[in-house]
Amino acid sequence: MEEELRVRLNDHQVSKVFPVKPKSTAKPVSKSETPESRYWSSFKNHSIPNLVSSVSALAFSPVHPYSLAVAHSATVSLFSSHSLSSSRRFSFRDVVSSVCFRSDGALFAACDLSGVVQVFDIKERMALRTLRSHSAPARFVKYPFQDKLHLVSGGDDGVVKYWDVAGATVISDLLGHKDYVRCGDFSPVNDSMLVTGSYDHTVKVWDTRVDKSKWIAEINHGLPVEDVVYLPSGGMIATAGGNSVKVWDLIGGGKMVCSMESHNKTVTSLCVARMESAETRLVSVALDGYMKVFDYGRAKVTYSMRFPAPLMSLGLSPDGSTRVIGGSNGMVFASKKKLRDVVEEKKSLSLWSVRSQVDETRRRALRPTYFRYFQRGQSEKPSEEDYLVKEKKGLKLTRHDKLLKKFRHKEALVSVLEEKKPANVVAVMEELVARRKLMKCVSNMEEGELGMLLGFLQRYCTVQRYSGLLMGLTKKVLETRAEDIKGITEFTGLLRNLKREVNQEIRIQQSLLEIQGVIAPLMRIAGRS
Amino acid sequence: MIRGGRSYVTSPPSFSNDAKKLLVCTGNTVSVFSAATGLQITSLEGHTALVTTLIVVPASTPAQKILCYCWTASLDGTIRHWDFSGPELLKTIDAQLPIYSMVIPSLLSEPQKIDKRRELSGKLVAFVSVEDISVVNEGSKELRGHIRRFNLAKPRVPRGDTLKETAEPESIVISPSGEFFGIRHKCKIHIWDVPSGGSRHAVSRKMTLHHTKVINAFAFHPTERVIAAGDVTGRVLIWRGFGNRKLALGNQKKKVRATVDLDNPGVRGEDDTESCTTWHWHSAEVNVLNFSSDGAYLYSGGREGVLVVWQLDTGKKKFLPRIGSPLLYFVRSPDPTLSSVVCADNQIHLLKMPSMEILRTISGIKPPPSLPRMYEGLASTVAFDRSSGIAALCTENYCVQLYNLLNDRGISEIQVCERNHQPGDEITVVVTAVALSLDGSVMSTTEVKLPEDGIGGLVSLKFWASEPDSKTFTLSTIVYEPHRDARVSAIAFHPTRSMAVSTSFGGDFKIWVCNSDKKQTDKDSSWICHAVGSYKKKPMTAAAFSGDGTVLAVAAENVITLWNPDKNILLSVLGTTLTPVTKLCFAGKSEFLVSASHFPRPELSVWNTSKLSLSWSYGLRIEAVTSAVDSSAFAVLAVIPKSFKTDESNENIFRGRDGAILLFNGSDPKPVSIWTVIKAKGGSISFLEGDKSQLRLAYVNGSREYVVFDPNSDESHERSAVDYDSLTGLEETGDAGYTSLYGQLPDYDKKRMEDVDSLATPFISSERPWETIFSGSTLNFPPLQKLCAEFFESLMEKRTAVVE
Repeated sequence: MEEELRVRLNDHQVSKVFPVKPKSTAKPVSKSETPESRYWSSFKNHSIPNLVSSVSALAFSPVHPYSLAVAHSATVSLFSSHSLSSSRRFSFRDVVSSVCFRSDGALFAACDLSGVVQVFDIKERMALRTLRSHSAPARFVKYPFQDKLHLVSGGDDGVVKYWDVAGATVISDLLGHKDYVRCGDFSPVNDSMLVTGSYDHTVKVWDTRVDKSKWIAEINHGLPVEDVVYLPSGGMIATAGGNSVKVWDLIGGGKMVCSMESHNKTVTSLCVARMESAETRLVSVALDGYMKVFDYGRAKVTYSMRFPAPLMSLGLSPDGSTRVIGGSNGMVFASKKKLRDVVEEKKSLSLWSVRSQVDETRRRALRPTYFRYFQRGQSEKPSEEDYLVKEKKGLKLTRHDKLLKKFRHKEALVSVLEEKKPANVVAVMEELVARRKLMKCVSNMEEGELGMLLGFLQRYCTVQRYSGLLMGLTKKVLETRAEDIKGITEFTGLLRNLKREVNQEIRIQQSLLEIQGVIAPLMRIAGRS
Repeated sequence: MIRGGRSYVTSPPSFSNDAKKLLVCTGNTVSVFSAATGLQITSLEGHTALVTTLIVVPASTPAQKILCYCWTASLDGTIRHWDFSGPELLKTIDAQLPIYSMVIPSLLSEPQKIDKRRELSGKLVAFVSVEDISVVNEGSKELRGHIRRFNLAKPRVPRGDTLKETAEPESIVISPSGEFFGIRHKCKIHIWDVPSGGSRHAVSRKMTLHHTKVINAFAFHPTERVIAAGDVTGRVLIWRGFGNRKLALGNQKKKVRATVDLDNPGVRGEDDTESCTTWHWHSAEVNVLNFSSDGAYLYSGGREGVLVVWQLDTGKKKFLPRIGSPLLYFVRSPDPTLSSVVCADNQIHLLKMPSMEILRTISGIKPPPSLPRMYEGLASTVAFDRSSGIAALCTENYCVQLYNLLNDRGISEIQVCERNHQPGDEITVVVTAVALSLDGSVMSTTEVKLPEDGIGGLVSLKFWASEPDSKTFTLSTIVYEPHRDARVSAIAFHPTRSMAVSTSFGGDFKIWVCNSDKKQTDKDSSWICHAVGSYKKKPMTAAAFSGDGTVLAVAAENVITLWNPDKNILLSVLGTTLTPVTKLCFAGKSEFLVSASHFPRPELSVWNTSKLSLSWSYGLRIEAVTSAVDSSAFAVLAVIPKSFKTDESNENIFRGRDGAILLFNGSDPKPVSIWTVIKAKGGSISFLEGDKSQLRLAYVNGSREYVVFDPNSDESHERSAVDYDSLTGLEETGDAGYTSLYGQLPDYDKKRMEDVDSLATPFISSERPWETIFSGSTLNFPPLQKLCAEFFESLMEKRTAVVE
């Protein structure tokens, strides 16, 4: 304590220089930064070049390197999730509505609005199978989590079809929806359980093992269902319809667990995200351009982010490093997280490169004959238990500060006027006022400098933040330098503009006063009641 | 009882022989500080008036360096000899006249000359500058200052013999070799040589140097015959080879040619010097002049607060700039790497010598800032942290000094405005007020930038959050123009929550809340405006929160309005006072509200907020009000009107004291106790509540001396008898006086007989309840029983006064 006291007193007495700073402006109230929001905002944006039209579906391959399939217009493009560069394109006869990878990532299925479901090998251009049975546009296609031989599709004919891919035959038609089927998902724990959602407001749970095409459970969302996903436990599902996202407990008999209604427009897509902390979140995007992260365990929206377009589709890579959102204007908002894996990779690498490391240490043995010897240790990182001694930061003085320090007041004012930073100019003027030198500076200004000052005053004297000082100064300048200003023709334009600015400001003030006069009685009445 | 805040700068300090201690004259005592830590070690107590001179007996041999003897001279007319390691008083010599300055040449002269034998034989001669008041009446010219020789060893001839008479007592300067001493007197320097002969009757020879300006300071060269003098215009004159003719040593006496005068450059008239050179750097008066110990350098300083080092041979300069306050003294230490410079703002800086770095600072309480007239007496420039006993004081250099009243030690300084203070410059920025929250965690300051030619004025309000570990504050929020361009008249903090209110003369008040109320981290806390209120567009002059924080009282000129601070609802309006209210304070947790106003008619009123009526009032001018948190006790600092003081009968009661602290309890108009104090104008008081729930009252007077005492305990009364008389002149005038005044009559008479002079009779006319009881609306009258009792009581009291 004693020691500290002394240090502080010394610090205080050492001669100080206070640089002229503009007045600090009000800062927005900073949001409390939670680890959650830090995680979600740590994604770095990467641009994907404009695609032609609305991005209707996105899908990530479940195996490394997690390539990305983007369905837009009548095309499916494959992107590498690492570099986000397009690698391959598959074209269709009609607009592609849904796309899904098989569990091994070797094949993917896509359906289009002509009602055809096609299965592609990611390495070949031509379709392996073409599954025709839907009589109306097909809306979704989904592979089971493990099973490689079957898939399910649904469409505007209200029929959900369970396919045998190899034979290109329908195993069973799951009938029951009374309106367009828009979405569906397989259970992550059982390859024969699936849910489908439809515009008839219901979500139906099917078991493909039951031959009778009768659903085993039904949930009413209350609004046309846009998307449905299984949560990782397999016992709960989340449905999106209208503005709301609802979480249901299937095992508990289809009870609603919680509901999130913070979107303003129709929620278009849902996705389950696994964070670094192994917690899972429900991510939703909607036509209002917002992406929301919903912690369904705590029934709380933990993060919200706005995009400049209505959002249509959403995909998160299985390793959680890439987030892709498709917009209705053909934009794909891809963003990648900086991976810490790089370090781990290095570690694994170093196992193999022991020898090279030995070489390195030998090379590093520095001797005083090397120049680097004298720089050794300069870039050393401190370890955790080291006590850090902070280097004193030197004060950086700007040009006007240096001039003010030398009491060259007018030159300081002129130099800051040249900089064209109004906040700094006003700060220097305030400092000159405190030194009682502003009027002297003004009266000593030469023609060009005076022009510069008048130009500045004309531009900023009605700005609210500076007007307190500048209005008075303008008046003074015009009074004291009247004859100098009169004689010069260049100033007439400046003065005209100045006059116009001031008149305009007066008009604004008057109209504001009028509005206030109208509002005040209303406010009083409102306050009384 | 704790007393402190004394000035460290009344006379030059002195280093001990080992340069590890610094002796400083602090009022009636000499404080010994450690040069290594800057903390006080001990103090020499015994003088009964201001100590003016302090001479440490120098060590002639290295072995003697541990000796710690010193001489002090004081205005009480005594010279004392101390052992300050003890500390122990060795000897007291009565000189009978107030001593303003003293030198003892024989201590400084060659070491072999001094030995015990000689000292015993009466060689210890001092030259003193005294004020002889007795002469005043005789002579037509008032030559009150006398320079006298005084034998310390044989104080049988107490008056000594007079060398010179001046109008005012001057300070004596002695050469480091002990050969010469001199005084400055207007434009002249008179120099005497110290008679070297053994006999004490040898007459000192005298010479005079002339200049055209008033000389402020001068110094002797340690080895050569060189004198440096500084004048009021900032010039430094160096006279070389002074006194070659007049003060030549006896055995070397030569006939000097008479023509010498002609080729003495720069020498004025008949002055006995070889040459005179002038250096001019200082723009204002030179106050400090001192040669380095080897005589190669000259240190000078003055009002600019810059220490200049001149190389004596070449005149080259080096500077220690921006000390920020006029320099008063520069003192060398026996250690060549250490010296100290004393500033007018009550700071002693210890300098590391060749580089002139400030090693550490012995920080006294800083003097109050000189506010422009319009800010005087409005907002308080002193705030108290009640729990820790720390006062926050506005200072001249745009800082707030945190001063621990209980330890009498400066803690830290907080730069409120980012500006350097230059003494002597026109004041353009003023820190007008400081306020501390009840727990001391938040500080609020207001500052005003005065406009130039009507443009560029700025008022800003700042909130500071305390650092948890160290007692300093960091800036949390700046509010520019909190009430447009109107000045802030008062700031008050909520007693429990982080909420503050600021009132302005522009007719509104604002309630500020800290938005980090629920968060744990103070880092990004900021204060935002919660509500704005106004009452009939009247200037708001004072504000106070009630003890539990549910009611906010704001004075709108002479109307007191009560608000709900959370909902910003006007609860009610208390009756009007006659004059604008300047201070408001709730009496603890009770429902009583104290208001004070002083222009044009001073008034102290106590309101009952539950009955919305005036309880009682006095016609006293109040400087400060404070109330205890837990009890309903409150204390006011009243300025005693001039008419009382000049009154013949009261003169012996007040003896120069111009104020009184009155302690009241709740609604009772009888003060529990009264203390009279000096320099009440600009003073402030506050209750301090320590850990032991001990209630103490702190009083800081106009020149920032302070006293902390227990208002209730008798123990302090006993001690005060000694302490009060000894120093700042605070004294009890019998707190029994007031109770007797209003108590039973027989008792009253008895007391009166006992101590007539200490009775507080002057207060009879100062409070005249019959004048105020009937003022205001009839609805506000107190109940009849009370009214009558009060009225009759006042009549009775008046009658006794007449009888007396």
